[in-house]
Amino acid sequence: MSGEKKELYLGYTTDKAVTPFFQKFLEALEQEKLMMSRCPKCGTEYLPPRQHCQKDLEECELVEFTEREAKLHSYVIVDFAPESLTSRAPYVVAIGEFPSGKKLTAHITNLMSMPEIGMTLKLAFDRIDEKKITYKWLV
Amino acid sequence: MARRVAVVAGGHSKFGKRYDATMRELCAEAFKPILDEGITQDMIDASVLSYAASQFTGQGAGSALIADYLGLHEKPHLRVESACTTGTASLRAAWGMVASGLYDIMLVLGVEQMNRVTSAQATELMARAGDMRWEYPFGISFPAFYALMASRYMHEYNLPHEVLSMIAVKSHHYGAQNPKAHLPREVTLEAAHNSVPICRPLNLYDCSLITDGAAAVVIAAEDRVKEFTDEPMWIRGIGAGASEMMVQDRPSLTSIPGAKRAAKAAYKMAGLEPKDMDMAEVHDCFTIAELIAYEDLGFAEPGKGREIVENKENYHDGKIPVNVDGGLKSKGHPLGATGLSMTYEILMQMRGEAQKPSRQIDDVQFGLAHNVGQSGQFVNIFIFERGW
Repeated sequence: MSGEKKELYLGYTTDKAVTPFFQKFLEALEQEKLMMSRCPKCGTEYLPPRQHCQKDLEECELVEFTEREAKLHSYVIVDFAPESLTSRAPYVVAIGEFPSGKKLTAHITNLMSMPEIGMTLKLAFDRIDEKKITYKWLV
Repeated sequence: MARRVAVVAGGHSKFGKRYDATMRELCAEAFKPILDEGITQDMIDASVLSYAASQFTGQGAGSALIADYLGLHEKPHLRVESACTTGTASLRAAWGMVASGLYDIMLVLGVEQMNRVTSAQATELMARAGDMRWEYPFGISFPAFYALMASRYMHEYNLPHEVLSMIAVKSHHYGAQNPKAHLPREVTLEAAHNSVPICRPLNLYDCSLITDGAAAVVIAAEDRVKEFTDEPMWIRGIGAGASEMMVQDRPSLTSIPGAKRAAKAAYKMAGLEPKDMDMAEVHDCFTIAELIAYEDLGFAEPGKGREIVENKENYHDGKIPVNVDGGLKSKGHPLGATGLSMTYEILMQMRGEAQKPSRQIDDVQFGLAHNVGQSGQFVNIFIFERGW
């Protein structure tokens, strides 16, 4: 490790507040690893990860999340987008539910027909541009 | 023991795209009817400004500006912010100050001026009320959160979109009879169902409006009420609830858990039940939100809210009249003013002063206001009682 912070951001339009904890998440994501967090005290797991446990505010550790398939829990097709994403509309945002019950919200990027609740989603990764990376769903 | 508190007066600006005014003139428009009733600045102990989003105007320190403009600059004031539920959060804060004995008489004034930015910019600003790290980067706008609820609800309960459009038709029917409404015109079921998509499955007529406007009420402690009116509206019950920040973390998308918690608390404090309500003002920021509200408030069982819609029980002469002022959908949704506009409407209905007989509800004894912030992260519910 050079020790120099690599400039990375999550998603299509982004909050540029990247903390050291979030930076580790992003650097793992760049390696196509999705990280969740786990409280060392009570064992509660969070996806997406939290730096502090919601129950006891202990510092959580990042742990790789290995499930790769989920079921479509709900979706929206965004036709009228926020100003920062108007050029990308329409796009599909989906909540996927993994077999463990954990959920993740991301775009579905390869739909050729209308989404159907209950359909299988596959977790994938994408580099949007030089600085932006993301996780996403494929059908 | 807390003192009883009543709403003794109200005022309401015209809602709409108010390019003719800034927030100060809108507030003056809402406060003027109160002054005209003889409630002058020297009678008011303190004020709360309900002002949800200064990013629309760029005006900071809003309560100082408005207190000064209205001649209340020598009286204590503060601002409350809780997204779209700011109005009733302000009323809750003021109620606490009066009930506790800190003040006797307070002005609660809500305002928002949202049309100083484009619709896309407004959508952007409201999207930032989602989780900035995990939701905003995916372009999940305010309508998108409710569309996620709508997709799931329609799937679980096999709900056709036409039922949502029927809610829009009802809202516009009553908005057309409300001279204060932003979009006072009727819409057909066909037009509502087939309008342009915004966040599918929600279309244009499923969405509330980006509105400028103000609304105000004066509240008084029980031993001072008679100085102001013979027709007070008592605050009988208050419930507040909260839900998870991220929509994906909710146990269900077909209900707003914070609204159910708030309703339970409000009914308990009031000693009343859903069947006792003679009218309701519910937070129909989207048609699906109104349908879910019927169920969260106990007017219908889960999945059965559509029966209220299909049987027109939500009309002014129905079993539970809902939003017969046009609601957020047709009257408009200036964020900080909305909860106080609901309160004003219930006061007017109780006093028999709805502007037209065709939207006047008979004999309102109890009215409920259901005001939701963001996509349900915070909820305030008030139950009001006619005091004469």
